[in-house]
Amino acid sequence: MGRKPQKNDSLPGSLDMLILRTLSRRDLHGYGILQFLQQSSNNELLIEEGSLYPALQRLELNGWIDGAWGLTPNNRRARIYKITAAGRKQLVVETRQYTKLTLAIARVMGTE
Amino acid sequence: MTRLWRRLKYWSNSARRDETLREEMELHLAQKAAELQSEGMTAECAHAEARRRFGIVARKSEEAREIWMTRFFSELSQDLRYGFRTIAVNKAFSAMAVLSLALGIGANTAIYSLMESILMRSLPVADPESLVVLNWSSRPPQNSNKDWVHVVHGVQGVLWPGSKGNLVSGMFPYRAFQTMRDGNPVFSTVFGYFNGQSRTVVFRGQATSAATVYVTGEYFRGLSVAPAAGRLIDPGDDRPGAAPVAVLSFAASQNRFGGPANAVGQSILVDNVPFTVIGVAPPEFFGVDPQTAAGLYLPLHTNLLVDGPRTARMYSDENFYWIEMMGRLHPGISMAQAQTVLAPRFHRWVDSTATGAERANLPALLLNPGAAGLGSLRREYSKPLYVLLAMVGLILAITCANIANLLLARAAARRREMAVRLSLGAGRFRVVRQLLTESLMLSSLGGVVGILFAVWGIRWLTFLFSKGQQNFTLHADLNWKVLAATAALSLLCGLIFGLAPALQATRPDVMPALKNGRAGGPRRRVQHALAVAQIAGSFLILVAAGLFVQTLNNLHSVQLGYARENILLFSLNAHQAGHRPPEIATFYTDLRKRLESVPGVLSATFSRSSIVTAGHAGPAFRGTMKAGTVTIGGARSLATGSRYLTTMQIPILAGREIDDRDQAGAPPVAIISERLAQTYFPNENPLGRRIALPEEKRELEIVGVSANLRNGGLKQESPLTVFVAVTQFSPERVTYALRTAGDPLRFVPTVQQIVREADSRIPVTNVLTQAAEIDRTINRELTFAKLCSGFAVLALLIACVGLYGTMSYTVARQFSEIGIRMALGAHRAAVMWMVLRHVLLLAGIGLAIGVPAALSASRLLKSLLFGTQPNNPTVLSLATLILLGAAILAGYLPARRASQIDPLVALRQD
Repeated sequence: MGRKPQKNDSLPGSLDMLILRTLSRRDLHGYGILQFLQQSSNNELLIEEGSLYPALQRLELNGWIDGAWGLTPNNRRARIYKITAAGRKQLVVETRQYTKLTLAIARVMGTE
Repeated sequence: MTRLWRRLKYWSNSARRDETLREEMELHLAQKAAELQSEGMTAECAHAEARRRFGIVARKSEEAREIWMTRFFSELSQDLRYGFRTIAVNKAFSAMAVLSLALGIGANTAIYSLMESILMRSLPVADPESLVVLNWSSRPPQNSNKDWVHVVHGVQGVLWPGSKGNLVSGMFPYRAFQTMRDGNPVFSTVFGYFNGQSRTVVFRGQATSAATVYVTGEYFRGLSVAPAAGRLIDPGDDRPGAAPVAVLSFAASQNRFGGPANAVGQSILVDNVPFTVIGVAPPEFFGVDPQTAAGLYLPLHTNLLVDGPRTARMYSDENFYWIEMMGRLHPGISMAQAQTVLAPRFHRWVDSTATGAERANLPALLLNPGAAGLGSLRREYSKPLYVLLAMVGLILAITCANIANLLLARAAARRREMAVRLSLGAGRFRVVRQLLTESLMLSSLGGVVGILFAVWGIRWLTFLFSKGQQNFTLHADLNWKVLAATAALSLLCGLIFGLAPALQATRPDVMPALKNGRAGGPRRRVQHALAVAQIAGSFLILVAAGLFVQTLNNLHSVQLGYARENILLFSLNAHQAGHRPPEIATFYTDLRKRLESVPGVLSATFSRSSIVTAGHAGPAFRGTMKAGTVTIGGARSLATGSRYLTTMQIPILAGREIDDRDQAGAPPVAIISERLAQTYFPNENPLGRRIALPEEKRELEIVGVSANLRNGGLKQESPLTVFVAVTQFSPERVTYALRTAGDPLRFVPTVQQIVREADSRIPVTNVLTQAAEIDRTINRELTFAKLCSGFAVLALLIACVGLYGTMSYTVARQFSEIGIRMALGAHRAAVMWMVLRHVLLLAGIGLAIGVPAALSASRLLKSLLFGTQPNNPTVLSLATLILLGAAILAGYLPARRASQIDPLVALRQD
């Protein structure tokens, strides 16, 4: 009751890019990805945590990441995701688009 | 492609995927909670906070799942699984819904399929739409006017009423056929034919009887029929003096020669005239009259050989109407155009055959569509079928109302469930869709069972309609279009009445429903209206059934004046086998004595036609009979052999019956019925008086008086009857009647053997019991009474289910109210009465609508009734009683349930 639909983030689709970027540094399980995102953004990024999992499924379906059972640092069984070659290419494409977009927005806003 | 591959892999182990995802999410929540706890939260708070931040777990996993499947299919499979569970749990509800739907769909499809096969199906020939039947219409003869003359001096065939009181017929003189055939600008072919009735045919030494059609040389070409073997009759075969050839029906070739190929070239005897089989018609071809399937096709002019040279007169007599015609239109020419061209042509010809006053009233040519062949069957059965169709339509409406009612009641009962699901985060669309899936599943299930009912129903109906008719050609098939239409209707009904409550139950404002699950609403009114409509509809069908059953009862209780049971009938035609007078009379008489000597046969006799058909079959002495100089009007004669009155158990009131003394050479005698005696010989003894038959030079001496009897149809009053000795009138075909001890059909093998010993060339035909022959004349009424009673039970059953559903729902709704009443001291009987009163009120309103509706609708049935009026009070009150009884029965269970509510339980709920 009283539940309101929430947007995950301000830029639709950017969650996929952030996940790819995170995984390009090292292989991680779901909760690890979230922790990394929040720590590296100084808790500025508000992510509805549950949305991570549909995003992971989407990336896997596209063949950009691969999940396999493994162990977390504190030895719990979890699905560890790693980025694929196709995923790295996609990350390059998305980063380029993102840079273009932010530059354009910055220009409009007159900060540059 | 790789995406598709991954998807397929996913589907192949989707259960494990779901499990994996769940585990991942749980790990996430656990780790989050642990982290929060380490920051100083209590365990409880940490878990709640972790969940809050995560969002709705179920929805997220659904979103994740739908990445892989398209959402539609994943949810559909869920809905279907859930639907099956619901159906399995609510067995009674599901069974009622499915059964009533199936009955509605099945009955409709069956009746309509049969109707289509009778009323609309095309002949199985190429391009049937271009075929046209030639008829003529004319003002009917006026008996009162002695000077009235008509160009039609004789008709061999039927006339039927057309528009504006005119008489219509399809018979023409042969010259008219020639006029139409030769140089016709609008028809590519004109062909003629006439019914040769049944003939004795000897195939390979075995005598049987075959329905024969005489056809002109253009017949098969005009119909565009290709032979199954050999060749078909062509114009070269149809002229006087041509070699006698015959075409067999496919069925006859199979039954007699084991296949079409074997039949070609065989010799057969038709009434002792040798013919050569030149070909076989294709399997689906039955001629042009859907009512009878011909077994044998003969060239028209061979009737000179079969029926004797005296028939030559038929070809030259321009005032004797006997041949039927059809034409095939040239491409691009319409029937109306053909009518404009041919009507004047026919008029000119018919004018040339008329003399004097006959010109005042000439028949006019009338073209009719020939795609479906001749219309005799349609004329007889179209009205009954429309009545049946209206009834099953009503049943379908009742069914739909029933389904709607059940769904509404159930949706109301499930409001709470829906509210719970909505509040747990289910999307509204999702819930509505799930409800819809359920109702559609019920409807489809009903549809599938309905197909089974339809198939079974068609078989049963065909059997009912064909009973008593040989060569019934209607093989009604399941009509898929109708099935689709009725099924679509029931699906639509399920959709609408599933959707409306679903939308209402899933309004965003779910709180009231959660708070008190039994909130009613305007839907109760809809439910009540539906129940009332069902009751009114059922009442209509009940009344119709009552009227038809009473009609049947009246027909059965008609005082026939002769025996009905334990009489075996069969026909012989020794004339066709070559017996000639006076020997033929001796042959029949000797055979009678042999049959009477069979143990178990109490008496045997024979007559020119059977007692039931006498008067409307065979050449009878009709016209004016005279007693002295007084004309006896409207008397029917029955030419019989010895011991007829004894065998038929017709009481002899005075004198004697016809016996073996009355042979060809002896003085001619007659027996008259009581009514005739009282009318024409009042105050005197008729014995010894004389009467004269029409076309007879001799006078007959009255030797006996019989009781009255209703020969020639059950629906007519007993006619004035005169029995004469058939042996004194050179019989051709006769019908034997044996009065037996026990089941008459037991004697059939004995009879066949005796006849074979007497003359193996004579086939025994029309074997049946007297009771069966009497029933055959009321076959339509019999069929109707059976069908309508079945329909009435069906409608009543469905309406009861509907009423039961409505009342169960009402009781469920008033659960707490009843609890309070009982807590306050209401008696169980009072509670029960409260519910029953409600039922009776609904039934009462239904009747208030149904009675006037029945009164006005049943008037349409008048022509199908006998001995009863459409507004028969007995039938109406009986129907009312049955309906009220059924309503109380349907209300009893919910009422009892209401009376057994425990006030404590009821008050604690909600």
